Amino acid sequence: MDDLKFRRSMLAEPNNRDDAINAAIKSDSAKQKFSQELDTLENKIAQAMHIPVPEDLANKLILRQTFASHQQQKRKTRVRLSMAASVALVMGLTVNFMMFSKTYKNLGDYAIAHVNYEASHFSNNDQPRVTLASLNEKMATFKGSFDSTFGSLIFADYCRFDGSNSLHLVFQGQSSPVNIFILPNDEDIKFITNFANDKLQGRSLNFNHSNIIVVGDKKEPIKQWQERVSNHITWSI
Amino acid sequence: MATKQVRYEALVKALHADLYRYGYWLCHDKHIAEDLVQETFLRAWRALDSLKDEKAAKSWLITILRRENARRFERKRFDMSEYEEATIADVKATSSEQEIEHYWLREKIEKMPEEYREPLVLQVIGGFSGEEIAGILSLNKNTVMTRLFRARNQLKEAVDDEPKLRGLHNG
Repeated sequence: MDDLKFRRSMLAEPNNRDDAINAAIKSDSAKQKFSQELDTLENKIAQAMHIPVPEDLANKLILRQTFASHQQQKRKTRVRLSMAASVALVMGLTVNFMMFSKTYKNLGDYAIAHVNYEASHFSNNDQPRVTLASLNEKMATFKGSFDSTFGSLIFADYCRFDGSNSLHLVFQGQSSPVNIFILPNDEDIKFITNFANDKLQGRSLNFNHSNIIVVGDKKEPIKQWQERVSNHITWSI
Repeated sequence: MATKQVRYEALVKALHADLYRYGYWLCHDKHIAEDLVQETFLRAWRALDSLKDEKAAKSWLITILRRENARRFERKRFDMSEYEEATIADVKATSSEQEIEHYWLREKIEKMPEEYREPLVLQVIGGFSGEEIAGILSLNKNTVMTRLFRARNQLKEAVDDEPKLRGLHNG
C-alpha cells in the first residue's frame, strides 16, 4: 500500500481500518508512528467536540413535549366534546320532530286512523262500565263536563295518538262501537266537519278550546250522536 | 399514548446530547443549539409514528435538526461574528492546560469551512460511517471521504504546528 493511499484512508476514517491498513501499520514503523499520532489527534478532536451539554436539557425537552401534547390533548377533547354536543342536538331535534309532528293533516284522517288502530280492543258486546263521575273527572282536563250519561259508555280514557293527547270515549252502537274523541284545538290539524272512508263516517264539532269528533260505521246515526253530545256537555270556560 | 411517551423519553435520553453537540457545531451558539434541539424534538414528537426503525432514529433527528437550522437562515440571516464571540467566552484564565488545548482545537474546528466540519462532526459525534454521512448530507461517498480527509489533515497540520505558534505567543 502506497503512502498517500494509506494517509488518505487513515485520515478519512481513522477508526475503520481494514486488514491491508493493519498490515501496513505492522510492517512500517513510520506508519505505526503516524497511526499513533492520529490516535492522539482523534482523541483530542473527540474531546474538543464533546462540548458540555446543559444538564437539564433532557428534562426540559420532556417537559416541553408534555406541555405541548397536553395542550393538543385539551384542544382535541374540546373539539370532540363540541362534536358530541352537535350530534346530540341534531338527534334531539330529529326525535322531537318525529315524536311531536303530526302525521295526519286533518281531524278526519286522525280520527279514522285512531279508530282503526284501537278497533281490536273494543267490541260492541262489552258491558258498560264507566260511570258519569269518572267520565267527568277525565273531562275536567278539557274544562268540560256532561250533565247525564247518554248511551252505554264502554270505555273512557286518555289516549296519546300521533302526538295529540285526547280523551277517547267508546259507546255501544247499533252494530259496532261508536268512538268519540275530545281533542284540544290544534293548529297543526285542520278542522273538517264531515269525513268518511269506505267503512267509517264521522263528524266534528268545534268548541272554544276543544274539538269533539264522533266516528262510527256507516249504519250509525252519527248526527244524532253528535247532537246528544252537544246537548249534554257544558264547558266551564 | 403511554408507549409513545415512553418511546419519546427514551429517544430524548439517548440522543439529546449528541444532537445538542451537533447543533452546536452547526451554529456555534449554545442557546441557539438548545433551541434547535427543542424544536427538533417537538417535531420529532409530532412525527414519531412515522419513525419505524429505531436504528434510523439518530440520522432522522439529525436530518430534522439540519432542516431546522436551515430554516433559521431562511427567516433571518444572523450577522454573527461567530469567532469573536467564541473568544469572548474566555476560559483561558481559569482552566487547566488540557482544557486550554481543547479550547484551542475547538477554535480550529470552528474556523474550518462548514463543508469540512459537518462530515467530521457527524463522524466523530454521530459515529456515522462515510456512507451514512453521504446519505445525511446528500453527497456522494467519495466527496465525503475527501472532505473527511481534508478536515482531519487540516487539524493534524494545525496540531503539528501548534507548539511553535504557542511558543511565539508566550514568548
